[in-house]
Amino acid sequence: MGWREAWRISNVAFTELSLQAIYALRQGNSVFGDRAERMVRRARRRVVQSKTIVALVLLFLCAGAAFLLHLAPAITTRPFFGVFVSVPVFDAGVLTGLISLDLAFLWWTGLQVLPTFLASGVLAVLEPLPIDDRTLGRAAGLLYLRLFDLPALSVLLATPLFVGAVLGPGAGVAILPGVATGVAFALALALLTGRAFVRRIQGSRGGGGPTLVRWTYLVLWVLPAFAMFGLVVAAPGLVALVARTIQGGPSVATDLLLAAFPFTFAVLPPLAAGTGSLFLAPASAVVVAIASAGYLLLASASAVWLMGAVRRVGIAPPLAAREVDARSIALFPQSAARAVLTKDLRIASRTPGYAFLILFPALDGLAIGLFTFVTGTGTNGAFALGLGAVTTSALLATFFGPAFFAIEVNAYSYGRTLPIRDSSIVLGKTALVATIYLVAAGLVLGLTALRVDRPLTFFEFIAAELPAVVAAAFVELGILFRRARARGLPIVNLYSGAFYAVLVAIPGLILAALPLLAYRLAPGAAPVAWMGLVAVAELAAASPFALWRSGGRST
Amino acid sequence: MAAPLPGSERIPLAVEALSVAYGERSAVDHLSFTVRPGEIYGLLGANGAGKSSTIKAIVGLVPPREGHIRVFGVDAIANGLAAKQRIGYVPETSLLYEALTPREFLEFVASVRHLDAGTASTRAESYAAAFRLETEFDEPIAALSNGTRQKVLLIAALLHQPPLLVLDEPLHSLDPRSVRIMKELLARYVATGARGVLFSTHTMEIAEQLCHRVAILDRGVLRAEGSLAVLRERGAHGDETLEEIFLRLTREDEGLDAAVRALEGL
Repeated sequence: MGWREAWRISNVAFTELSLQAIYALRQGNSVFGDRAERMVRRARRRVVQSKTIVALVLLFLCAGAAFLLHLAPAITTRPFFGVFVSVPVFDAGVLTGLISLDLAFLWWTGLQVLPTFLASGVLAVLEPLPIDDRTLGRAAGLLYLRLFDLPALSVLLATPLFVGAVLGPGAGVAILPGVATGVAFALALALLTGRAFVRRIQGSRGGGGPTLVRWTYLVLWVLPAFAMFGLVVAAPGLVALVARTIQGGPSVATDLLLAAFPFTFAVLPPLAAGTGSLFLAPASAVVVAIASAGYLLLASASAVWLMGAVRRVGIAPPLAAREVDARSIALFPQSAARAVLTKDLRIASRTPGYAFLILFPALDGLAIGLFTFVTGTGTNGAFALGLGAVTTSALLATFFGPAFFAIEVNAYSYGRTLPIRDSSIVLGKTALVATIYLVAAGLVLGLTALRVDRPLTFFEFIAAELPAVVAAAFVELGILFRRARARGLPIVNLYSGAFYAVLVAIPGLILAALPLLAYRLAPGAAPVAWMGLVAVAELAAASPFALWRSGGRST
Repeated sequence: MAAPLPGSERIPLAVEALSVAYGERSAVDHLSFTVRPGEIYGLLGANGAGKSSTIKAIVGLVPPREGHIRVFGVDAIANGLAAKQRIGYVPETSLLYEALTPREFLEFVASVRHLDAGTASTRAESYAAAFRLETEFDEPIAALSNGTRQKVLLIAALLHQPPLLVLDEPLHSLDPRSVRIMKELLARYVATGARGVLFSTHTMEIAEQLCHRVAILDRGVLRAEGSLAVLRERGAHGDETLEEIFLRLTREDEGLDAAVRALEGL
């Protein structure tokens, strides 16, 4: 049995994986009254849609980078933080950013989908069958690759095309090793770190100490994804830093920079286009050649490791419980809505996808708050930056809100038998969204307030937006509840449910944005009052939709 | 909201002409039975007979196509929330919140059941000790064995001491000690004379030991109902076991000998 047989087996396994990813039957979701063939077809379609959305995001990044490369001659006429950057250095900087973003986005996507991949148990089903080890390994590897096929292919094909169109065909070909290496690293990192996460976090005990350790670990976990965001925000400063190092002439720092991934590969297109020699000394070219060869070797080793490791990870024994006497068996019940909030936070603390949604806005608030605090941006600058950060927090919390509904697929077939009102679930999840907004905005407020002379206005701005965030969460959850009643729960994780998450978030984003718009356009001297008025009106309109019509029922 | 029928407030469960279908496939067809106060009522049937579909309709997981379900007089279809408050349910598969520990899961269940901390803790402590769950009380459910998950589900069902227990194959993955405890517990549970237990199984010995009355389902249809003594009386001779009665009534005994003989050559 060879690759052909492995492909055939991976086909069957991928169908099962798609079904599990969309319907989460092994996670306790319940779906009734639908024909199996229709469910399978729908699952396959949804997975393709989700992969297409991820591919489109990557294509968007690629097009954005190409646009920057095209504008490079105009952009570089002005200094970056006091440094004039040459066009080839700017090009290398942009391509470094592009490869880094591709790698981080694919890695993050992998982390989203890996828990579903492991929970589906599709590889364990294949093990007892009379299939030789090599074919099983290949089938497992192909199955894993198929999770990323559209996004990875779009990066591998589109990047050379876009770069080639701007910098010339040679440059297009020259970027390919860097992109391929980035993809190989991303896929290997997702498997390696995802498995470690399942062992250390999903297997972590309950209680205060382990919870603290778990959240600390999760902050570290989110940092690479946050770095992706930071890279975009801090791009001009990074380009200036790179230019200062490279344009200063040959040095150890230059060689270290040239040997660092993905900068090693990012200098190849300018070299191929004939402009790279302007900043690259012959000795440094040797560094680039050696480093490139090293990274290509490492990427090949990663690919080989990946093909074998997927099977090992997929059939690894489940988590084992330790037998430790509980301190006490005391239980502390809460109100139903608070119990939903607590349950969601506890599940999020053992699920990277959900933890990310909670931590990302908070880290964003912290980073911008620290920036204004440390740099001491002038009062007006700090004020504007702070309002921008609060706006981002509101929009992020609203955008991520629908994803928390997906937690309900866990043990849905059991949860539906409990006497819990829909309104309690809506209130619990809305409280979580509002908490995320307030924590993120609070961090900005706490750090920025020290730099502005209008902290009260700043506080009023945060408070005025709060009803809009709640209204947005109400509308999003109201839509999802109605759909859940009609056709079952639609979202399983951010990857397989990206289609719904984006779709449902649109009305929420509009609701969250309207008061911010009112603040900008408000007549007279009290824009915060106008903002608050719009937000409260939205909340009054959204509440019946989410609470009254579902109040006495249980899903 | 439909008002309880006079006198029905004392009846743990009354199912009338219940039909359940998945698309065009009928799973339960005009099924009627009653669980009386103080009774453990067994639903028996082969795989696919409609036991789990009946139970899922009772606990609100599947909308019935037709019929009525009353839990202590409360219409479980029109007023699911009130009915669910009176039911403790153990599903046939132990698919739980994998990311929670038993403590966290039971705290959630106690919260939505509006139990106070003292009551919830006392009961959880007693059940955890009985099922020897103390050592795994703070481990994530994802790391627990099937049997231990089943114990967690049993405790969750018993935590609010509901007047009606609905148990779908509750003993299938329990160890012998826990099975013994469950049998004792169920017998005592209904001894007060006010509560009822609906119990589905295809293990005839357990039904024989535990149930006061049984219903035998076959392809969604009720074939027979009554105590073991009543069912024996209806048989060809009076000393049939429940298994023999079951196989005869469901016609599962037809071709049984031939099927066994066919296996001899393998």
